[in-house]
Amino acid sequence: MGRPKIPVDLILAKLAADAEEAKHRLKKARDIFHGPLATDIGTTPYEPVYQEDRVRLKYYRPEAARLKTPLLLVHGLFNRETLLDLQPGRSMVHNLLKEGVEVYLIEWGSPSRRDQFLTLDDHISGYMDNMVEFIRGRHGVSRVNLMGVCLGGTFGVIYAALHPEKIRNLITTATPTHFNTAKGLLHIWMQEIDVDRLVNAFGNLPGNLVNAAFLLLNPPRLLLDKYLGFLENMDNKDFVENFVRMEKWIFDSPDVPGETLRQVIKDLYQGNLLVQGKMRLGERRVDLGRVTMPLLNIYGQYDHLVPPEACEVLAEKVGSRDTENVCLDTGHVGMYVSSRFQKETIPKIAAWLLAREG
Amino acid sequence: MSEENSGQMGSEPLLAAWIKWTMDFWDTMAQMGPGLAGAGRSGGQAARETSVSESPWLAALNLWQAFFSLLTEAGTVAAVFRGIQAPSKIILRMAQAGWGGYFYLHQQWLEGWQGGGSPAGNNAYEDLDQDIFGACNEIFEHDFRQLLNLPHLGLTGLSQVTVLRAKVQFKQFQAAMAQFISLLYLPVKKSLRAMRGVGGLGRQENLPEDFKEYYKGWLKILEGHYMTLFQSAEFIRTLTHTLHALEDFSTAKEELLSEAMTALGLPTRREMDELYREIYLLKKSVKGLAQKIGRTEADREEG
Repeated sequence: MGRPKIPVDLILAKLAADAEEAKHRLKKARDIFHGPLATDIGTTPYEPVYQEDRVRLKYYRPEAARLKTPLLLVHGLFNRETLLDLQPGRSMVHNLLKEGVEVYLIEWGSPSRRDQFLTLDDHISGYMDNMVEFIRGRHGVSRVNLMGVCLGGTFGVIYAALHPEKIRNLITTATPTHFNTAKGLLHIWMQEIDVDRLVNAFGNLPGNLVNAAFLLLNPPRLLLDKYLGFLENMDNKDFVENFVRMEKWIFDSPDVPGETLRQVIKDLYQGNLLVQGKMRLGERRVDLGRVTMPLLNIYGQYDHLVPPEACEVLAEKVGSRDTENVCLDTGHVGMYVSSRFQKETIPKIAAWLLAREG
Repeated sequence: MSEENSGQMGSEPLLAAWIKWTMDFWDTMAQMGPGLAGAGRSGGQAARETSVSESPWLAALNLWQAFFSLLTEAGTVAAVFRGIQAPSKIILRMAQAGWGGYFYLHQQWLEGWQGGGSPAGNNAYEDLDQDIFGACNEIFEHDFRQLLNLPHLGLTGLSQVTVLRAKVQFKQFQAAMAQFISLLYLPVKKSLRAMRGVGGLGRQENLPEDFKEYYKGWLKILEGHYMTLFQSAEFIRTLTHTLHALEDFSTAKEELLSEAMTALGLPTRREMDELYREIYLLKKSVKGLAQKIGRTEADREEG
């Protein structure tokens, strides 16, 4: 082995120079950690207006409503909906309210073992439909706007195909609909999962397994670099608070009802039935041709969880003539928490909805 | 070992193989020893110091070789085994299995050690060498698992089987998890090897002086290796195997807990699951009926 050519002496000198700064940073960080930290998530005020079993509907009232049609936000089952209201002032919910949109948000709650038999149909034609009915009745409107987040978007697409008469406009964000792609790791891994075995063993998919799976998507960044970044910025109170908020959200994945998981894996990830028009929910076939309302399909160019290939096909498959694909220069979570999304995309969504108020 | 298993390695051939591997290994180390001792010093000084440090090193090696030469002589090992006054065949068999496993494990370790200095190669993760965890599994499957198949008789026989099954599944899960984690470590190993190549940059003018630059470079290489690994058939196979082991352990653990809960007069998880299923179906029927009633009433009001 030859002698390394890396200038170790220079590196050590640089590290020594950094040591004093690190000492100062540590002292400041100690003061921050000993003081009160504002790390609560989901702090935008809301009113719980509907509850069925473990599932709740939250209503967020804007100061001045600009749109007549309320917007129902549907998050996926693998993470909490608090992603949409993570940080005060930089929250998707908060910014939609600022745009004058009346927002409803489904909180799927924490499924327990007694929820293991709930199917995809129970979630979409049951809970979701009951909530849409509730909103229609409450506001006296025949149709609501629907916006889906991640797998919640897939739920939204399925719902819109089954009940097009109840949806005025459909917005999908980071929503997988074409699952037969080798671009995203999740899509690759899911092909090999024996979901029957998994559900038979656990009943529900444990949230901790979901957490671990998400960490596996990029261990260098999520297990190392992220925490080194924290050490470097721990003297910055805002940074620390936001970091802790994100940690709270990331590691709080709920259990996923077993029967729902079974159908998601088999019909969507492994069978890719949705875009082929072969998926069935209860007694009904899910026909994307029936999605005739305007569609705004937003996804991230660097989303490794739901790659663009899994999202962009939707616009071609639906029956609507008013479709728009928007590919953002961001990743999966960044789409919802980045300043750019808050400043640029949310006003665009509000304007898009306003233009289609009817 | 039975006649059918004559193809497998018994304790004596394993011992001989282990001795050979051990001798080869220490022979290599002995050759490396003086070189290592002299690394980083000037030629003359290194030569002087080597001559001083070499003698105890070589003396130890000679002693080691002499000891193992004696052991490798025909019949020595057999004589050792004959000399054991075994209290029972089972204990002897377990001891033999243990020795066999240890020798095999050591051999695998030496192979791994000797292969450790090979070049990093490309990013491919196919056809990985059998690692130490694979060896552990093999030992377990070939030797210890057979012992666990002994029939359990009497009043508590069935409970013993349940306990044993849970233990075996836990062991299987641990082994699978260890193998999975070792696979996850491979990109780190590969990226560190790749970073050795950064030394070559020393001949260039713009060599980064900030450690962070090296860190960023390493992180990028590491990410690349992980992405390659995660898409490889080997990783997916190991991931699936680990998940299956976890599922099997969970099922075996549930059976064990169910026995305990039954004994305590508590409802088991299976019983609760049946109850949950009945409640789910009942609720669904009630909701369906309520909707029908609601629709009928609405129709009547309209009509």
